[in-house]
Amino acid sequence: MKLNKSNLLVLENIRREYTVGGTTYPILRGIDLTVKTGDFLALMGPSGSGKSTLLNIIGCLDTPNSGKYNLKDNDVSKMTISDLAEVRNKHIGFIFQNFNLIPSISVLENVLLPSFYLGNEDQKKAEELLVLVGLKDRMHYRPNDLSGGQKQRVAIARSLINNPSLILADEPTGALDSKTGHEIMELISSLNRDQNKTVLMVTHDMNIAHMAHRIIELSDGKINK
Amino acid sequence: MNDIKFTTKLLKLSVLALLSNPFRTMLTMLGIIIGSLTIIIVVALGEGAKRDIEQQYSSMSVTTILVNAPSTVEGARSKLNYDDVVELKAIDSLKTVIPQLSGKVQMQSEGNSSNLSVLGTTSDVKELANLKLISGKFWDDEVDGRAKVAVIGAIVAEELFGSRTADVVGKTIVVGKKEFEVIGLLEYKGGSVGPTTIDDSIFTPYDSAYRYILGINGRFNINAQAKDVSRIGEAVDQMSTVLRETHNLKAGTNDDFRVRDMGSTVSSAVNSSRTMGILLASVGVIVLVVGGIGIMNIMYVTVTERTKEIGIRKAIGAKEEYILMQFIFEAFLMSFIGFLIGAVLSFGAFFLLKQFAVAYVVVWWSYLLSFLVTISIGLFFGYYPAKKASALNPIDALRYE
Repeated sequence: MKLNKSNLLVLENIRREYTVGGTTYPILRGIDLTVKTGDFLALMGPSGSGKSTLLNIIGCLDTPNSGKYNLKDNDVSKMTISDLAEVRNKHIGFIFQNFNLIPSISVLENVLLPSFYLGNEDQKKAEELLVLVGLKDRMHYRPNDLSGGQKQRVAIARSLINNPSLILADEPTGALDSKTGHEIMELISSLNRDQNKTVLMVTHDMNIAHMAHRIIELSDGKINK
Repeated sequence: MNDIKFTTKLLKLSVLALLSNPFRTMLTMLGIIIGSLTIIIVVALGEGAKRDIEQQYSSMSVTTILVNAPSTVEGARSKLNYDDVVELKAIDSLKTVIPQLSGKVQMQSEGNSSNLSVLGTTSDVKELANLKLISGKFWDDEVDGRAKVAVIGAIVAEELFGSRTADVVGKTIVVGKKEFEVIGLLEYKGGSVGPTTIDDSIFTPYDSAYRYILGINGRFNINAQAKDVSRIGEAVDQMSTVLRETHNLKAGTNDDFRVRDMGSTVSSAVNSSRTMGILLASVGVIVLVVGGIGIMNIMYVTVTERTKEIGIRKAIGAKEEYILMQFIFEAFLMSFIGFLIGAVLSFGAFFLLKQFAVAYVVVWWSYLLSFLVTISIGLFFGYYPAKKASALNPIDALRYE
């Protein structure tokens, strides 16, 4: 596969297996995937199909056993743990199913956290993002004082603070009721539409998946053609 | 500049984490507090003991050799007496030899009365104990051998005359039942000559003390001074030989006297106080080690409790070293604050020691020592749990509930 300027990430023959008690379980069995800047992809598939593992590898939280992964023309598969942390920090924004906010610090501090680890805390930007997600008036609250939808909005603001080019969402509406879920999806879609963010989303929900430009279906560790 | 801000923020994170469970933090620090306090106090007690020893022996040079009679020697009375002094004076390695007949006696003057010490000796005591007169003079052994005259210590003057000024010379003291004339007043000295403390004693000619005051109730010993430090051993041997001869002791029988040179007495006193100090200091260190294990324990619990948080932080880009630093700061803070509390408590402890009249000397380096030991232990025991936290796999940590 040719590398193209507008290719944000390219996966080539990615394999991942886990060994538990001497038995090896293959999870990903040769994934080829190219995502262009500005794409909006939905990853679907039954549980155990490997979509979360794939998302983790794309998110630099996990490394493949073999295969090649290029992100922004950098070979991620050869990076050190410390470099991977830097890539996650600078280039990737995470949105999780269960929000993953730190309960002991305020909403504002949660949003600021990735920029703190970047060494460049930008309070003004954080406040702007909280305006964007409609939670400016809650910025001094603790996460546990917010509703599920509000928590996910905070997580979205946090994912944007370091201005990453790639947003990874793992079942972002999984813990929300359908009305709130749609509001969150609207917000995520607008990031792709208005800010040209590349979005990769894992979901079970066909309705939500249809908001994406492209649906990738996984089964048994392979992409269904 | 950015680094300082970053570090400050990490420190703030650690403070917040510690404050989130203040009771547990306090309990964890308890061992550290007690340990650092122990080190400070132990050093102060050790220095106090050292000062005591120095003061006690300040008027004795290392060349001083004391001869006394053990209270009982196989039921027989010691033959140690004034005549031995004359024999010992013939030894060429000795500079001075004085007899010391001492005891406590009720003394009165000008309506004041007090129980004070008497020391019957020869005027050589002046040189031997390095005594200085404020006024008056010592007696002449040839002329005043049996005169009822006394040179008095500073405290004696204060007790009996209410002042230690020159005008006490010429006044009279009733010692026991006899009147003695004060012929000299000593400078305040602090210290003792043989078994007798100088400042609360009166010094009289040996015979006068024996005849008029103490008689056979007095405690007798001999105080000698070697000519040179290098001849102390020789002097001690010669003295033993002479005394065995004059006491007619047969070969194989025990001495009925004891010869001790102050050099080795002082050094053994110093040694034993140092041993004690080391012993107590090790207790301090042991307490700190136990305290450090406490820190390690609690930090393990903390790391487990905060596994999810660590996972989140790592997922959004915290490098391992930042997580490591955050937890090391926690260990550092606990040991540092523990030390501070221990240091503050030390003032209270010193106040108590003062109430119980225990000797101590506060020295600045005891705080430095306590600080260094405490912090090293905190960091040593904090490192491993912090390392464990920083090495957590973000995926596993995120899944942890």
